[in-house]
Amino acid sequence: MPDWKEYVREHLPPLGLNGVREHEIVDEIAQQLEDAYSEAVVRGVSPEEAETRAAAQISDWAALEQEIRRAERPVANEIAVRVPKNLRAAVQEENIRKRRGGNMFADLLHDLRYALRLLRKNPGFTAVVVLTLALGIGANTAIFSIINAVVLRPLPYSDPSRIAALGQTAKDGEFTYAFTVPQFRFLRENHSQTLEAIGAYRGSGTFALKQQDKLEWVSAVSVTEDFFRVFGVSPVLGRAVQLNETQPGGANSVILTDALWRRMFGGDPGVIGQQISLDDSPYTVVGILPRDFKFIENPADIFIPLQLGNTLGDQGTNTEIAARLAPGADLAQAQSQLQAIFPQMPDKSSFVGVSAAPYQKALAGDLRPNLLILFGAVGLLLLIACANVASLILTRASSRAREISIRLALGAGRGRLLRQFLTESSVMAVIGAGVGLLAALWALRSLVAAIPWDLPTGAASVSIDGSVFAFTLGTAILTSVFFGLASFWQITRMNLVNALKEGGMNGGASRNRVRNVLVIGEVALSLTLLVGAALLAQTLYNLHRENLGFDPENVVTFVTPYPNVRPLTPERIWQFEQDVLARIQSIRGVTSAAAVSVAPLTNQSNVPVQVAGMNDPKHSFGGAEIRAVTDRYFQTMRIPLLRGREIQGDDITTGAPIAVINETLAKRWWPDSNPIGQQIVIGEYLGRQLFNPPDPPREVVGVVADVKNVLLSRPAPPMVYIAAGNKSIQLGGSTAWVIRSAPNAELGSAIHSTITTMDPQQRILRLKTMTEVIGSSIAAQRFDALLMSLFACVALALASVGIYGVLSLFVTQRTHEIGIRIALGAEPLQVLRLVVGQGLILAVIGVAIGIGAALGLTRFLTTILYHVTATSVAPYAIGGFALVIVALFASYIPARRATKVDPLVALRYE
Amino acid sequence: MQPELKKGTAEVLILSLLEDRARHGYELAKLIEKRSRGVLEFHVASLYPMLYRLERRGWIEGRWLEKAGHRRRRFYKLTAAGRKALPEQRKSWREFIRAIERVAQVGNA
Repeated sequence: MPDWKEYVREHLPPLGLNGVREHEIVDEIAQQLEDAYSEAVVRGVSPEEAETRAAAQISDWAALEQEIRRAERPVANEIAVRVPKNLRAAVQEENIRKRRGGNMFADLLHDLRYALRLLRKNPGFTAVVVLTLALGIGANTAIFSIINAVVLRPLPYSDPSRIAALGQTAKDGEFTYAFTVPQFRFLRENHSQTLEAIGAYRGSGTFALKQQDKLEWVSAVSVTEDFFRVFGVSPVLGRAVQLNETQPGGANSVILTDALWRRMFGGDPGVIGQQISLDDSPYTVVGILPRDFKFIENPADIFIPLQLGNTLGDQGTNTEIAARLAPGADLAQAQSQLQAIFPQMPDKSSFVGVSAAPYQKALAGDLRPNLLILFGAVGLLLLIACANVASLILTRASSRAREISIRLALGAGRGRLLRQFLTESSVMAVIGAGVGLLAALWALRSLVAAIPWDLPTGAASVSIDGSVFAFTLGTAILTSVFFGLASFWQITRMNLVNALKEGGMNGGASRNRVRNVLVIGEVALSLTLLVGAALLAQTLYNLHRENLGFDPENVVTFVTPYPNVRPLTPERIWQFEQDVLARIQSIRGVTSAAAVSVAPLTNQSNVPVQVAGMNDPKHSFGGAEIRAVTDRYFQTMRIPLLRGREIQGDDITTGAPIAVINETLAKRWWPDSNPIGQQIVIGEYLGRQLFNPPDPPREVVGVVADVKNVLLSRPAPPMVYIAAGNKSIQLGGSTAWVIRSAPNAELGSAIHSTITTMDPQQRILRLKTMTEVIGSSIAAQRFDALLMSLFACVALALASVGIYGVLSLFVTQRTHEIGIRIALGAEPLQVLRLVVGQGLILAVIGVAIGIGAALGLTRFLTTILYHVTATSVAPYAIGGFALVIVALFASYIPARRATKVDPLVALRYE
Repeated sequence: MQPELKKGTAEVLILSLLEDRARHGYELAKLIEKRSRGVLEFHVASLYPMLYRLERRGWIEGRWLEKAGHRRRRFYKLTAAGRKALPEQRKSWREFIRAIERVAQVGNA
């Protein structure tokens, strides 16, 4: 027998009645058809024929529906018939729901469809909400992806949380993850029970690896015997570095990474024990590392023993130490035991303490605070986006008050409405999150490329992965629940009768209050971001204004590694430098050129220095910057000479023991007297000679202005210039060049061809204009300021949408009042003032609260600010002013609409 | 025939059939067809809206009843108001018939 109930349900259009009644009618009519069918069957009619006859009883279902509608016509139906077209869907929705009865999954699908239909019907609203959410969620996902890669994701080492980086704190509060070799030796011998292994390592530059006819430049890290144990790795073939190889004069052994082994040696296991040529010196291959091992901090191709000697280099604070915590020990215990042995540690005169940090934290370095600040900023942005969406939804809830009232009148349960609202906002949140995720994918690529820091785990490690996606989804779901609840809260507070009577446009005062609070919150949060952006912009500006001590315009710089000749003697290097200099100076447009061991803002090269014969701490300085320069260096860089004379060509050819010092060193040692003619010794500290043979005492012949060393934000350190060509002092493995010329776009290629014609194997590195060098030295600050400004702009845009929305509603709600005012003779200006005034009040309250919030939050910026305090007035004034202007603009459009109100229409509006 | 008349006709038929006992919709339709010997046929499409209208008016009352061996059905019975309205309805019906007879001279033919 056919299911007649189903048949009726399929054929009878919705009746617009309450659920129980509608059910009854369906049942009754089904019963009628069933009776007709059964009777026919009893009379001996075939079931098919009986079915046709029963069905024929009702030929026109639409007419039946009309008849029943007319017959019924309860109170609710009275409303339903008068329901404006745009609300009929809601009424129908109620009825369909009721007739269908409850089924969780079907309900959910139904809610989804209904939500999608509603959103499609309001494309403007949906677009603004989805875009707002996408911005908030997208920015968060992008930043979080980077944080995840750099700070959160465990490093690919065995038990990575047990790896610690040791560091020490200097007297000036500066923290460094570097030690001297004697300090390491001390720690290795005295390391407490809390450390299972302790290893030192130091980047060792590049080597020319020659293998048959192949030549490859490979980068090397020097490590001690426990280094690999610390990182939980052992060679798959051969062995690690041995203790005796870390002694001065120990055997030259080398451990290859898997990639290099396959690339250069075809993965031949027989390479173990063979000799290979690195910079023309023989090294014995002793081990091959596993394929999945990568030393993230310094992705070297080869590892060689770090020979712990007493050379000048070993005396410098330039060796990093990593350690693995002993089983059962934690970082705090290691920390306190290190602190306990600190008083016996050598070379500790300028340090106040030694400590251990999680290795991952050390690896992230400066990036970590920067990322956390940016994350805080995007967090604020997400809050603003949420407030904006909530405010939009509340505004829409007001205009939907009538729909909701009707559904409540038709007997809709509040619980069901809540679910409907949650579904609707979830759908928007999910679409927003989806669009945001796409935006994040796109933004991430450009963001990673723009990041001025070397990402410790490498750019490739930054991707949108599972946890990032979970985070996005979590944010989306949280925000959706928040919006759903917010708008539902509005509805449940609504007076149904009033809503019906007033056509739903006049929201209650409390609803307006919530929206106002949201907008004020948006303004306040935007101000915080604006202040942050202004502070960072000020920092950037201050850095730009810093006195460099030289003129970077029209100066090009590059670096040449020492020529690849053996044996590499000071004479050979000097010969090479002279050749390069002569050729460069002949390039068209070049006005002057010079060589310097290290160009400003690129690197450091510190060596102790003291006043000859004065062995007290006051006349020794541990970290003076030493520069070997050719005679036209000061002229090329336009570094002002303050006293005495510059370094001259004769100084180079005769090798006379002279030095030029900078102003800082002159003031430090001879504050009241003339430094010219004084004697200093490079490489001597408290009477101890660090060079062997020692550098002779040098006569100070000139004083030049201070030049920034590595960072624009640091004052220049004491500096000593000596004549190039005197290579009794080894200053690294490369020469830097500075060239001043007339603007010449082809200068770069001219330099390249000049040097490669001289020696095709000679490499030219980091060819840049000096302006670019300065730019990249403050790239981090520029990046921070740029992103923060971007966030602040988005926040401003969102806040203006919020203000606009609230005022539009304000004008709509007050059309009647405004009409009366105009009818009574109010001038357009007065009306304008009424609306704009409303917007300004919101903005001003928001700014006032925002100042408080910004004062609290910008404290976290302190570490990355330069010469501007988080409480200086200007950023707050600028931020507040910008917001007030934006509020004025956002108010203007609704205000204009208000002035155009036609009193006649407005009065009829009721 | 004016719609009101038609409606009135049907209403008086239903009220009359419900006078002695409660009946369900199918039964009503069958009875009207049977007693008029097939002359009057009540379409489902008009019967039920009619019942609902009478019910709204408060003259009849429907109730779901389940009799032994039968399906659950909605039985309609005359309410007090309906019982009171029936003579009035009959009266106006009779007047209507008479008016037709006079016009068409049916009785005197």
